[in-house]
Amino acid sequence: MQNFGYLFAAYSIIFAVIFFYVMFIWRRQAGLEAEVRAIEARLKELGQSSPAAPANSSRAGQ
Amino acid sequence: MAASSSRGSAVNPSGAKKARGVPALAPWLGVATLALMVASLFMVFEYVPTEAEQGIVQRIFYFHVPCAWVAFAAFGLVAISGAFYLWLGDQIWDDLGYASAEIGMVFCTLVLITGSLWAKPIWGAWWTWDSRLTTTFILWLLYGGYLMLRAMADDTPEVARFGAVVGIVAALDVPVIIVSVRLWRTIHPAVLVTRQGGHGLEDPRMVATLLVATVAFTVMFAWLLMLRFAQLRLRTRMKELRRQLALAEASAGDL
Amino acid sequence: MRAMGAFAAILRKDLRLELRSGQSTVALFALSLLILVVLVFTLSPDPANRAEASAGALWVAMVFAGMLGATRALLAENENGCMRALATSPIDPAMLYAAKLAAAFIFMTVAEGAAVILVVLFFNLEFGPELLRLAPPVVLGTLGFSALATLLAAISGRTRAGDLLLPLLAVPMFVPALIAGVKASAAALSGAELSAMTRWLGVLVAFDVLFVTLGGLLFEHVIGED
Repeated sequence: MQNFGYLFAAYSIIFAVIFFYVMFIWRRQAGLEAEVRAIEARLKELGQSSPAAPANSSRAGQ
Repeated sequence: MAASSSRGSAVNPSGAKKARGVPALAPWLGVATLALMVASLFMVFEYVPTEAEQGIVQRIFYFHVPCAWVAFAAFGLVAISGAFYLWLGDQIWDDLGYASAEIGMVFCTLVLITGSLWAKPIWGAWWTWDSRLTTTFILWLLYGGYLMLRAMADDTPEVARFGAVVGIVAALDVPVIIVSVRLWRTIHPAVLVTRQGGHGLEDPRMVATLLVATVAFTVMFAWLLMLRFAQLRLRTRMKELRRQLALAEASAGDL
Repeated sequence: MRAMGAFAAILRKDLRLELRSGQSTVALFALSLLILVVLVFTLSPDPANRAEASAGALWVAMVFAGMLGATRALLAENENGCMRALATSPIDPAMLYAAKLAAAFIFMTVAEGAAVILVVLFFNLEFGPELLRLAPPVVLGTLGFSALATLLAAISGRTRAGDLLLPLLAVPMFVPALIAGVKASAAALSGAELSAMTRWLGVLVAFDVLFVTLGGLLFEHVIGED
């Protein structure tokens, strides 16, 4: 079992890094979804008071 | 182009619900990743025989190589989506390229770390300026530069074009880097290219383990890419919604 | 023909500005001088492997002076809106790129020539025919660097902290030319066979062809307006 430390370290680091990356995605996702929901609710509110909501879709690449 | 036009009906609640959140396939890919990872770990630690010369540290190899494969595939995808972005101008390609660069960077970092942990007991040094190590490290620097560009600049179409250009140039630079660095020096074991020096995979169980681990990492790459890509799509949508909200608020203020 | 006319006009403009002020070349030379001074103090003044040390010093000076020069040139262009005006003009972006590349290449080559003289003085080399053999790697490397820097500075010049971003992007991309250039220069200075240089010169030529082509093709996307 010589050099077991290196082997253990390698596999732990792989899983730790991937775990933290998934957590990073996860936490952002919750924030983003909440924000999108808030904006949509606000848009709906505005849309009811004034039905002339602009519906021009954007081409983000231009 | 078709994908962006469907986003126009943002106020439609049913359409909005569908566009939000993670794709339906993502949890299944997550489960598949987990199952394949457990299988790979079993094979690496129980099934595969210990390599005679290097001992148990050689087992790092079974996850090290798939990490490298995912990193290279991800960086290739950055260039491809960059080319499509410049060609079609649809934000969807930029989101794909950005997500791919980030994931590639995660795995490229893992390649360098696991390689280092293998090199210390085998070569006696954490790092040597061997050709593959050097090439991988330069790749890491290249895409680090790409991510710095994205981090330092705003999310405008202009910066998306810059990202596409850098992604394409970086990928096409890679062959020249490989040639020049190889001429410069080489001591990395040529595992898959030639089988000299006892570094080949003599046992078929070793090949099987490497294959299963590679499949596991490929599925994990697909899973992570799907998650991050969907997130960047959502962010793009949010920017569009913000714009609409600003317009709607302005017109409501006028009334 | 009209494209060539545009190329010549832009290049002439840049050269005339440079002849009047001498800013870019002087700045490049001054920076090279300082970098070489720093290197003389950090390396030993009379190293055993003199050819390699002096070749290395020359290329370090080239890369870092060139980086700052490129940033400065593009910041100046952006400041007075010249690049924006050129981008909206009907000039072929590839021609615009070629003109900018040519200007950068000329300024850098002049500064490089001066830097070579400094290296000879600082590292106790001889003024002899082997210095002429230094020309191919240095000229090819300068061309590759100008091609890369002209493309990337157009990007970094339009982002925040662009002066930091340019080296972050350019240095890793320049690595193959750097390796080949230093090796070929060291071979030239140590008076080795010409065959020792050829494969490195091959790498440099490949690098130059790749980046000049890519720059010409992609410059349009870098300077384009939204």
